[in-house]
Amino acid sequence: MSMDTWLKKMSVRSPWLFRINAGSCNGCDVELATTACIPRYDVERLGCKYCGSPRHADIVLITGPLTARVRDRVLTVWNEIPEPKVTVAVGICPISGGVFREGYSIEGPIDRYIPVDVNVPGCPPRPQAILEGVVLARSIWLKKLGLEG
Amino acid sequence: MSDILLAVVHMCIFPGGVFALAVGMLFKGIDRRVEARLQRRVGPPLVQPWLDVAKLLTKETLIPRTACKSAFLLAPVVGFTGMAVCAAFIPVPGVFQGLFNMGDLLVLFYLLPIPAIAMMLGGSASSSPFGAVGFSREMLMMLAYETPLLMVLLAVAMLVGKSVGTGAEFSLLNVVGWQLENGSIGFNPVMIPAFVAYLMFLPGTLGVAPFDIPEAETEIIEGPLLEYGGPLLALFQIGTALKSFVVLGLGVALFFPGTIGDFWLFNLVWFCLKCLLLMLLAVTFVKSATARFRIEQAFRFYVTVPTVLALISLVLVWAM
Repeated sequence: MSMDTWLKKMSVRSPWLFRINAGSCNGCDVELATTACIPRYDVERLGCKYCGSPRHADIVLITGPLTARVRDRVLTVWNEIPEPKVTVAVGICPISGGVFREGYSIEGPIDRYIPVDVNVPGCPPRPQAILEGVVLARSIWLKKLGLEG
Repeated sequence: MSDILLAVVHMCIFPGGVFALAVGMLFKGIDRRVEARLQRRVGPPLVQPWLDVAKLLTKETLIPRTACKSAFLLAPVVGFTGMAVCAAFIPVPGVFQGLFNMGDLLVLFYLLPIPAIAMMLGGSASSSPFGAVGFSREMLMMLAYETPLLMVLLAVAMLVGKSVGTGAEFSLLNVVGWQLENGSIGFNPVMIPAFVAYLMFLPGTLGVAPFDIPEAETEIIEGPLLEYGGPLLALFQIGTALKSFVVLGLGVALFFPGTIGDFWLFNLVWFCLKCLLLMLLAVTFVKSATARFRIEQAFRFYVTVPTVLALISLVLVWAM
């Protein structure tokens, strides 16, 4: 195994999470905080860390139905994230619009603008489901690096 | 010639460079693990800091269009180099005496703020408003915690100097040697306030809660580090790991440099254990129990409590 492959294999064990709120009702954001803060779930044991800066992010967790006013900002922030990045849609809103579906101010679903890698449906999804989504995102990240997960 | 070669070995392998990095990274891992256990979480594996660095090396580097490119690229290198040199000054009692033996306490005092200055340089060069806020906060913090540090160093130097008869002894080699003969300074009742002041200096200089104000990730989204990513951020992290080794090793050398036996391996492990204890006491336990101060609260804290404590020791030593 070459140095490069080894480095890539090691790198997926340190996924830093970045949260984008695309007009969410905050329900999913509370669940994301739960995933990090409640000892039973503890996302840090996977090596995860919530980071404040999009420049440090590896896995992007997007919540909310992508409202018209927030669309350009979400796209700007998403483009700031260095490659390779994995996008996870958390909650039903970014996937289909959820209860806001077909609302006048809704630009979603989010994959009209951003390629989504993992869907974690739910209103809000359980912390276990979010954790599973992060683990799934890790194997997709490995694939993006050119290695089979 | 061989002196220079030896100095390079000391800077690159032991105790600077490889050894300092290994210890610093291990301590960072232990720190994160212990903090998680204190909060009843599982926590990341001990090798997590290495994994983070490996990850950052595989990411792409983005440089903001409006940034001052040369300063932006130079800042992490400056911080890393400063600390790599600093680590060679740290004596490991019973194993290694320290690279220079004249006035190295003063040199250390001048070299220690280099990572903070590198952070300020990077923050202001990144052209981000958060970087600018981080810059001003970092500078205020530096002004605040350097004062007690200087007084602690002066108190130690005067205590040893008065006993030897040279006035003030700024050679770390002689300070450690004096303590090995006459007992550790940390057990001297006069110096206990200075030791407490040094403990309070540690979280400030390492930038951890409650003094992680310049890099507050929730309010100014990591401030000076905001625009850094990929290998450059990895270099900053390596610099921080080296810095934790330097300040902890300096604390052990100043206050508790005792050795056990003559065998070098035991002394090395003993030194690392003391550093670890110092870190748990001053950094990990404090960090997991506190929230973040506001900048003016932190400034007021540093110019009152640790400064007064260090001053008490200084005056007592002077009056003795």
